[in-house]
Amino acid sequence: MKIAVCLKRTPDSESRFRIAANGAAIDETGLKFDIDDFASYAVEVALQINEKQGPGETVAFAVGPDSVQETLRKAMSMGVDRAIQLKTDATTYDGLAIAKALAAELKAGGFDLILFGKHAFDTSGGVAGTATAELLGVACVTAASKLEIANGKGTARRELEGVAEIDEFSLPAVVTIDEGIARPRYPSLKGIMAAKKKPLETKPAQLGQPRVTVKKMELPPDRPPGRIIGDGVAAVPELVRLLRTEAKVL
Amino acid sequence: MTTSNVVFLLIVTAGAGFFALNVQRLVRYLRIGLAENRTNEPGVRVKNVLSIGIAQSKIFRDHIAGPMHAAIFWGFIVLTAGTVEILIQGVFSDFSYDAILPEPVYRFYAFSQDGFALLVLGAIGFALYRRLVLHPRRLEGDKLEHTDALIILSLIGGLMLTLLLTNAYAYLAGSTLVGPEKFASRLTAQMLGRSVTSPGYWAGVFWWGHVVILLIFLNYLPYSKHLHVITSLINVFFSNTSGPGQKGVMRPMDLEADVEQFGASDVDHLTWKNLLDGYSCTECGRCTAACPANITGKPLSPRKIVINTRQRLMEKAPLATGDRMEFIHPRLVHGEGGATGAETASQVLGERLLDNYITEEELWACTSCRACVQECPVSIDQLDIINQMRRYLVLSESRFPEEIQPAFESLERNGSPWAFSPADRGRWAEGMDIPTMAEAMERGQRPDILFWVGCMGSFDDRAKKITVAFARILKACGINFAILGQEEHCHGDPARRMGNEYLYQMLAKDTIGTLDRYDVKTIVTSCPHCFHQIGNEFPDFGGNYEVIHHSTFIERLLEQNLVPLQGEDGKRLTVAYHDSCYLGRYNDIYDAPRATLKRALPVVDIVEPKRSRDRGLCCGAGGGRMWMEERQGKRINVERTEELLATGADTIAVACPFCMTMISDGVKAAESDVPVLDIAEVVAGQLVS
Repeated sequence: MKIAVCLKRTPDSESRFRIAANGAAIDETGLKFDIDDFASYAVEVALQINEKQGPGETVAFAVGPDSVQETLRKAMSMGVDRAIQLKTDATTYDGLAIAKALAAELKAGGFDLILFGKHAFDTSGGVAGTATAELLGVACVTAASKLEIANGKGTARRELEGVAEIDEFSLPAVVTIDEGIARPRYPSLKGIMAAKKKPLETKPAQLGQPRVTVKKMELPPDRPPGRIIGDGVAAVPELVRLLRTEAKVL
Repeated sequence: MTTSNVVFLLIVTAGAGFFALNVQRLVRYLRIGLAENRTNEPGVRVKNVLSIGIAQSKIFRDHIAGPMHAAIFWGFIVLTAGTVEILIQGVFSDFSYDAILPEPVYRFYAFSQDGFALLVLGAIGFALYRRLVLHPRRLEGDKLEHTDALIILSLIGGLMLTLLLTNAYAYLAGSTLVGPEKFASRLTAQMLGRSVTSPGYWAGVFWWGHVVILLIFLNYLPYSKHLHVITSLINVFFSNTSGPGQKGVMRPMDLEADVEQFGASDVDHLTWKNLLDGYSCTECGRCTAACPANITGKPLSPRKIVINTRQRLMEKAPLATGDRMEFIHPRLVHGEGGATGAETASQVLGERLLDNYITEEELWACTSCRACVQECPVSIDQLDIINQMRRYLVLSESRFPEEIQPAFESLERNGSPWAFSPADRGRWAEGMDIPTMAEAMERGQRPDILFWVGCMGSFDDRAKKITVAFARILKACGINFAILGQEEHCHGDPARRMGNEYLYQMLAKDTIGTLDRYDVKTIVTSCPHCFHQIGNEFPDFGGNYEVIHHSTFIERLLEQNLVPLQGEDGKRLTVAYHDSCYLGRYNDIYDAPRATLKRALPVVDIVEPKRSRDRGLCCGAGGGRMWMEERQGKRINVERTEELLATGADTIAVACPFCMTMISDGVKAAESDVPVLDIAEVVAGQLVS
């Protein structure tokens, strides 16, 4: 099968974030970037489908400046066959613009399946996948936690609040991937070496006019520090009083 | 020349010729392994041969089997002189050393022959008693192994008996060569009685018997685990623990090399020395008896790793070298694990050492504590084989326990095997007025010493207390030091121990870059793993620093009276010190932590658990086990903690943050309230506040 996986490069979630000088982005100095967690599940799913179904091709896509090449190489070290960078001058946060760029490229690609992460950890937009499906005019299933492809049809399971839904859909389709579907493989050194030789194509991204821009970013307020009220039984009345009057939980 | 001389020459030539052929085949087999230079530090190597080989220093670590083996070994050396005499007699029937040696020397020689023949006989008797009656656990091999041992013991016994009987009959036949120095021969003669008929004839029979057994013995060796008779001294000479600072240092890999695969999955990816280890193993089982994984019921047996390596070599090498003879049947393919049942050439080539002989579970059970390497009397390096195979699993197949993947990923992203924010690395030092290297340099200062804190010391709540304690000592002693703060990240040792050499080299090279940027010369650290890695393994990548573990550093400060300690404190404290593997067996630091405790505490009794110093049992965290689940058998840390608690100590002292975690958990599991303290905490507790 011919599968496309669309990746996003995001900073590690354990990072301590700072706001950049312009006040509308995070300061990237010292941050470690990698494939976004959800997108890495999508890579794993794509690889597993093609391993199971026999000969096929898995192609990774990413929209962004040259820094995304590292992310695409990582996907290739996991086993993706080739990669295409849709180059922009800076990181774009407008999901629809990203979808337009991807759709323009994917349209003629002849892909049976196009996978995305359900959303990216950094912006939690969740737009690019669904918008791409819309632009391509193909079926779209979001947040799949199980995915099977057989006889030109797909079946996906979606975990909803208190209930699970099983969807059937025709191909080609866009599926966005939820967590719990597969543990992304760790690239072997063999894979890393092979990835250096795999083709990575760079094309200009046709973003169109971005309609959403980030105006301002701010850090959440610091949590107030804990307070030690006292020691042992003597502290209980004060604790109860504060739980009543301040925390209002009693 | 008599007919007898001619027959003798023919037999000896045939026996020696067949032996030479087999030696040549065994050497050819070794060549299917990778090349490796093992001739550096010749002085240390010769010293090892003399102490470990000739003086049997490691053999004596077992107080019962040690003297037994040494008697046989030294007997062999001494009796070889006699064997040469006997061989010459085969050609010149009347030859004796008597003719060429000065009288006193000859008498001494004659005495030594009989003395050692008796010693060896005694030792053989005891060895048979052990095998047949006592059955020590570590000798429990399979049936073939047992038979092999009995055959060898019988052959050696036969050699001794025929030697004594030859002399005894010769004496009875009136030979002047059996003087009073050959007391055992004369004693044998006395027991035979003077009435035997034609003693000269019997002397001849036993002389031939001796020669024939000698040749059988020689030619049996290449088919037996007792090949070690020939290879062990050679193996000791080439052992890779030869030079200072080389103990347990992992071999750097060329990751840019254009190779089919990284690491070892079969014998031809191991080095010739790993294969020679296989020839040298006599299956004594000392390694397995000392292995913390094996002791606590895990599937790993270091002995099996070595035996399997030899088995697989014997199976594959004939095909790989086009040798039409085989060593497989019956003796060499035996032992734990057994043969895989491959019969045809394509079956044999389709199999490999990994999976068919050695399983993934065995390899991941290893704590890299080096107890096996320490114990091996012939300096086999079981750990090197394990490490090479782990490298294959990770680098070539990406196969490992799933719980270590987050550790790898976190090392890549956060520079620590745990998912902590790198920004929090220096947080423990807040309010302590400790400069980072960057801050010190900015102020135009040049700190004398870099305190390498390590990931445990930076992020683990319990270990942070050790870090603070050590920093307080440094400050109290007025040491001009700095930390790297956020610029520190893991040097990659956990990745290396878990087989991920690629990730390791990335982290190590980056660390060396940081250290060199600040022109760091001297490093102190409270983590033995950091200590070993930076001090002993970084030089292979061009990082050369003087690295001092905090136990040594604090001891020096105490020795120079630089530590402002409180006066006498009356309470007598009994402390059990737990040896860290990377401090002890990897770096021979046993006394410094104990001396530190003695100097810092005015009244202290240091008690030793049943396994201590170079026999110390691992806490269970090494070799990346810290990040893996312990699913099988008893927990290693519980086993170790029980030993420590059994000493009745009021306090357990450690000198490693990993040991701290494992032993603290062990104490909790034992529902004990004995405190576990790092030696730095003990000293810091005595500081004048």
